[in-house]
This record gives sequence, structure tokens and C-alpha cells, in this order.
Amino acid sequence: MSDWPEGYAKRVLAEVDSTLDEAKRIAPDLAGPEWILALSQTKGRGRRGRDWKDPKGNFAGTLVMRPEGDPEQAALRSFVTALAVYDACAEVTGRTEGLALKWPNDVLLNGGKLAGILLESSGKGMAVTHLSIGIGVNLMETPMKEWLEPGAVWPVSLMGETGVQVAPEDFLNALAAAFARYETQFRTYGFEPIRTAWLARAAKLGEVITARTAGRETTGTFEDVDSAGNLVLKTAKGRVSIPAADVFF
Amino acid sequence: MTNKSHEADVAFIKALAELLRANDLTELQVKREYGEDDSLDVSVSRQVAAMAAPVQVVAPAAAAPVAAAAAPAAAPAAAEDPASHPGAVPSPMVGTVYLQAEPGAPSFISVGQQVSEGDTLLIVEAMKTMNHIPAPKAGTVKRILVEDGAAVEFGTPLVIVE
Repeated sequence: MSDWPEGYAKRVLAEVDSTLDEAKRIAPDLAGPEWILALSQTKGRGRRGRDWKDPKGNFAGTLVMRPEGDPEQAALRSFVTALAVYDACAEVTGRTEGLALKWPNDVLLNGGKLAGILLESSGKGMAVTHLSIGIGVNLMETPMKEWLEPGAVWPVSLMGETGVQVAPEDFLNALAAAFARYETQFRTYGFEPIRTAWLARAAKLGEVITARTAGRETTGTFEDVDSAGNLVLKTAKGRVSIPAADVFF
Repeated sequence: MTNKSHEADVAFIKALAELLRANDLTELQVKREYGEDDSLDVSVSRQVAAMAAPVQVVAPAAAAPVAAAAAPAAAPAAAEDPASHPGAVPSPMVGTVYLQAEPGAPSFISVGQQVSEGDTLLIVEAMKTMNHIPAPKAGTVKRILVEDGAAVEFGTPLVIVE
């Protein structure tokens, strides 16, 4: 059982529209980083307005914080968070077998999508004033089948794949502790150790994948994640580094 | 386009400008092919009477951010260059632009609209991070310089608010 990390506040809500929206509401008066856990979300959000439906028993939470640094630094929390979710899943199930990461921050289990992470930042000029990291984990059920995008990774649940049943609050304890560890590492040593740890858990490294961005599509060999977090693909036209995309296997 | 190739393009254009100066030429045109639908057209010219070498970049959409970045060297073009406009809001990061909160939703802003300081103008996404770009001051949206889904570089002018 993980100890609750020092310096992080916790807010547990029986029901909320979305933890990301709750984060936006509390951000102006934030004293320090704060985890928001909702036992039920009525309007969960995914990327670009996609619904994120989470039946009771699944994890729906947001960490809201005021990070130092610029937006490009803030965006690297995508990798910090993916590692934390990976470690939390490993801790609660007692195994890492079948767990993998998909660029930049999806957590896969046995090839299916176990968790999704969406970050929202807002700033002033070139600086970030606050960052909200929304995290959804299918602890009990796979809710997403009816609105899957063509070619998207099939959803799986922790319960369905491992038989391990974890309550959202227990998962939050493991997640908050893991996040605090990686966040300290990130602040102390920069992105390099995060990048290395992420690559060690990456799915399809060295294999051909496709990155889709607003009408563009790039297919190539997944070579690397660079020091800025970009996805690096080796294509027929040379190396391409991609800052924003949906990845398809 | 990536940071690296952007920097390489800027370095390439600087090198051309230097070549022009060193060899006392007045005009130089180069087309660089990177691949299908990806090329850079650079035309560098110099007025012999003037001391500076004005650099003009004619680039297709894929290379557009270079025009903005290279422009500070081009004194005559400065009036046209949105990056040097005092009301220009630059992108704080490399990424993809979204003009709406989600597909199908109304745009955050339209030309002629009044905005307050801190209002979201648009989103730049990188690594699943939706970075809301706020209005730096209250004013009127004069121009929207980027299209929905466009790839932008650090410093690319996004919007002009006056």
C-alpha cells in the first residue's frame, strides 16, 4: 500500500460533470497540486470532445497543478503521467506482464487500451499558469466499444484481463505515489530519465506504425522519442518527428 | 514540419543571404525538394544601393512558418510580416492548431470579435496536451493567421489582437 505523497492535496467527489472541468473551477485558487477523484462522472471528456464514458468502478481523476516552465515542458507531463499509470497498474496487480505504453500516453494491457490521459494547460504569454492532467482507467469495465474510432485500439479492463478488482480510491493512492516519484525525477533531472523509462515500456518500438494528425498521415518505423517528446518515425522520405498525432498500429 | 527542419531552413536561408552578400549578387533563387508535396522555394534579393540584404521567402504552405521566422532580416517586407506586428500572439510551442474546443463546436474567435484578456483564442496541441492560448490583452481580433489543423512552430504568429 502506497503512502499518500507529501505536498499533494486530495478531493474525492461522489459525482461531478468531469474532473477536468472541476479542475478548471478550482485552478484559480489552487494552493498546490491537487488530485480530484470522481466516483461518477456525468460528462467525461476525451480528446477533441470525444465522450469518455466511465461506468461506476472505473477510475476517473484529474491532477491539477501549477507547473514551472513553458508549455513544451508542461506537455512532457504526458510521459510522466503515462509512466505513473503504468506503475500504479503494476503495483495493484502485482505484474507488469502485458503492460505497455503507446505514444504519447496511452496505457495498453495485452494489446488493448486500458487507460487514456488528456492534458489541458492554459497560460499567460509564453508561460503556463496551470496544467490539468485527466486520467481514465478501465478498472472494472470496458465502456468505449460503441464509439471507437476506426482502427482504434480495442478497450480492455484491468478486471477483465487480470481478474484483479481494485477500488478507484485504492488506485488513486498507488497512482499519486507513482506520479510524485516520477515528477520529482522530472524536476530534478529533466526529461531524459523519463524518456528512457518510457522507451523501456514502449509498444511497437522498431515496428511500423501510423501517426494521424488533422488530415495528415505518416507511416514509418517507430525509431525513437526525441528529447522534446516528439514521436520519431523513419519513413521512405527520411526521419520525421511528430509533436501531435493519434497513433495506430 | 519539425523544429529541426525549421532550424535547418532558417540556416539555409541565412547561408543564401550570406552568399549573395559575399559574391555581390543581386538575386538568387533556389528550389529545394524534400519529397512529394514538400519543397521550399527561396528567393533572396539585394538592392545594391542598400547596405542590408533584404531576404524574401516565397514558400508553399508546408514551409510557411519559415517565412515568419526569416522575415526579421527583411526590412522592406516587415510591414507585411504578421510576426512583427505588435498585436501578434505567437505560439508558445510546436504543435497542431485547433480553432474550436471540439469538432463541430463554434470557433473560439472570429475576425472583428472583441476579446477580454485571458479569453481562449485557440488551442495548440502537442503530446495530447491541449494548450489554451489566451488573449494577452483586451481588444479586437484583427486577423486569424492559422488554419484549423495547421502545424505550427515555436513563435509562429497565430492571431493579431489590437
